[in-house]
Amino acid sequence: MTRRKFVQKLIKAGSAIIVGAWWLAKKTAPRKFVWAVKTKKYPGCLKPLRSIYKQSKWGG
Amino acid sequence: MCIIGPGQSGECRVRINIDGVLRTVVYGFPCSFNPYDPVEKKPLFHFLPGTKILSVATVGCNLHCLNCQNWDISQRNPEDSTAGFLPPEGLAKLAKKHHYLSIAYTYSEPIIFYEYTYDTAKLARAEGIRNVLVTAGYINEKPWKHLLEVVDAVNIDLKGITNDFYVRVCSGTLKPVQDALVLAKASGILVEVTNLVIPTLNDKPEQIRKLARWVKENLGSETPLHFSGFYPQYKMRHLPPTSLKTLEMAREIAISEGLYYVYIGNVRSKEGENTYCPECKSLLIERVGYTILQNGLKDGCCPDCGREIYGVWK
Repeated sequence: MTRRKFVQKLIKAGSAIIVGAWWLAKKTAPRKFVWAVKTKKYPGCLKPLRSIYKQSKWGG
Repeated sequence: MCIIGPGQSGECRVRINIDGVLRTVVYGFPCSFNPYDPVEKKPLFHFLPGTKILSVATVGCNLHCLNCQNWDISQRNPEDSTAGFLPPEGLAKLAKKHHYLSIAYTYSEPIIFYEYTYDTAKLARAEGIRNVLVTAGYINEKPWKHLLEVVDAVNIDLKGITNDFYVRVCSGTLKPVQDALVLAKASGILVEVTNLVIPTLNDKPEQIRKLARWVKENLGSETPLHFSGFYPQYKMRHLPPTSLKTLEMAREIAISEGLYYVYIGNVRSKEGENTYCPECKSLLIERVGYTILQNGLKDGCCPDCGREIYGVWK
């Protein structure tokens, strides 16, 4: 193997490692901004709006 | 940030990982809906004073403050709660129909009903209605910037000025809140800050001075700062309410640090509820509780010296 080919192979291998490590880090890191999908059903009890604002006693 | 396993909900209780898809169970399902709130209750003193603001919230919160005044909704599981059905289109239409100038996403934490807040705010803005967030500001940069695009004013709680306080009392950390405050201010919207003064935990003069100094250096002298009185609530029933004397001391310190608009809330205070001109000290807005007794502002300026007053006045 010539010196030139050896350097080329070294660069290729190094690049592959860097790209692989970057891809792995991106995949394993938790995503910071995920838009949640809405559900159709509320898991609690549903009541008319007037019942909701009757209980308004919250601060802020 | 919390990592949510399959079938689990996050810290907020309302965002769930179902088969690898993040779902929100509170979108369009407010548990609190109040058409009668004055904007001063948020508290916002520099935003359309004297107007009513349509206020809405769902259950859940990403913090767990031991002193939470709305803990019965913020710390409740959605399956144990009662809610109404009011999708974003309905809420925006309702606000338009009843001539509200603004909608507040408040009481619990608008950041955890993020999608509902964003979609409603976008529709409301298209109808000419302004959007207000009352939040603890515990959010990452990217979603915060995105949300700020549809918001006109925020009141952000700066609950303490040490990370230790946030860890011990709120189950959170300080840095994201400070970053959210700086970002909100830089975005150009109206920003007001609230600090709940809790006896023995964050009421020492040096703590208040540090907080006021941080507000001045990072948000500017004109940023309104509200010192609110604590009342024994939730898991902090063993502490006494904050005295008026402590709140007045906090206000004096913040003014001495160079803040122009410093207010006292949750207790009656003659001077601490009014807005004065920072230039000529004229009384501009006189308040008692949430009621405006007089508003002397002329086109957002002091009628005596003409100085422009920070705020959204029309």
